[in-house]
Amino acid sequence: MPGKLFARKRDGRVEVRVNDAGRALLKEFFVHVVAGERDTEHDWHVALNAPINPSCDVDDPLSTLARQSDISSNAELSLMTSNAQFLTEAEAWAWLSTLQVALRSMAVVHGILSDEKLETCAPEVLEEIRTLQQFLFDLAACL
Amino acid sequence: MAPLPLQASSTESEAETRVAVVTERPWNVIVWNDPVTPMTVVVVVFRRIFGYSTNKCTQLMLTVHHEGRAIVWSGQRERAEAYCVKLQVAGLQSTVEQDA
Repeated sequence: MPGKLFARKRDGRVEVRVNDAGRALLKEFFVHVVAGERDTEHDWHVALNAPINPSCDVDDPLSTLARQSDISSNAELSLMTSNAQFLTEAEAWAWLSTLQVALRSMAVVHGILSDEKLETCAPEVLEEIRTLQQFLFDLAACL
Repeated sequence: MAPLPLQASSTESEAETRVAVVTERPWNVIVWNDPVTPMTVVVVVFRRIFGYSTNKCTQLMLTVHHEGRAIVWSGQRERAEAYCVKLQVAGLQSTVEQDA
C-alpha cells in the first residue's frame, strides 16, 4: 500500500511527501487556477465565476470581488509554497482550496456533471481527476 | 389634542415594523452535489467555514450526496452570500436562495 502524500506532524505542520513529478503536477494545477482567475479567455474562467444568487441577473459586485480575491490569494500562496517540505495550517488550507477549485473547474470544463459522465469521460481526463482526488483525500485527512 | 395622533402613529409604525420582520423570509445557502468532490473534503470545508461538529458536517454531506443538495445555513442575505462565497472559494458548488 503506498504511503500517504501528506502527514500531520506533532507541531501542527503538514509534511508534503510528494515526489518531484507530483510537485510538478501540483504546480501545474496551481498555475491553472491563477491563470483561470485572471484571464477571461482561460478555459477555467467560467467555472471560477459561477453564480452566487441565480435569482438575480447580476451578482453583488462586492461578493464577486471577494471571491476573485480569495481564490487568487489561495492559488498564489499555493504556488509560492509548492516546493515547501512543510506547510502551516493556512498554507495547507490554501492548497486544499486551490486543488478543489482545480478539480471542480476541470469537471465543469469537460461537462462532467453526473456520475454517468464521469464514467464515460476520456481516460486522460479521468486519470487527472483521480490524481487530484488522491491529493485532496490525503490532504483533507490532515486538516 | 396633538399628542394623541402622534402616539397612534408611533404605534402603527411599530406594528408595521413587526409585520415587516415577521414576513422577511430567510436566505438559504445551498450546496449542490457533484460527481468529483471527495466526501472528506466536503466535511472538512463545512467544519472550517461554519464551525459545525464533525457529526453535523457528515450528515449535511450525506444529504448533499443523496438528495443532490442541502441547506447548510439560513439567515440574513448578506451573511448568506458571504458564506456562499467562502464555499465557492473552497471549490464547492453553492448558491443562495430565499426561503420559499
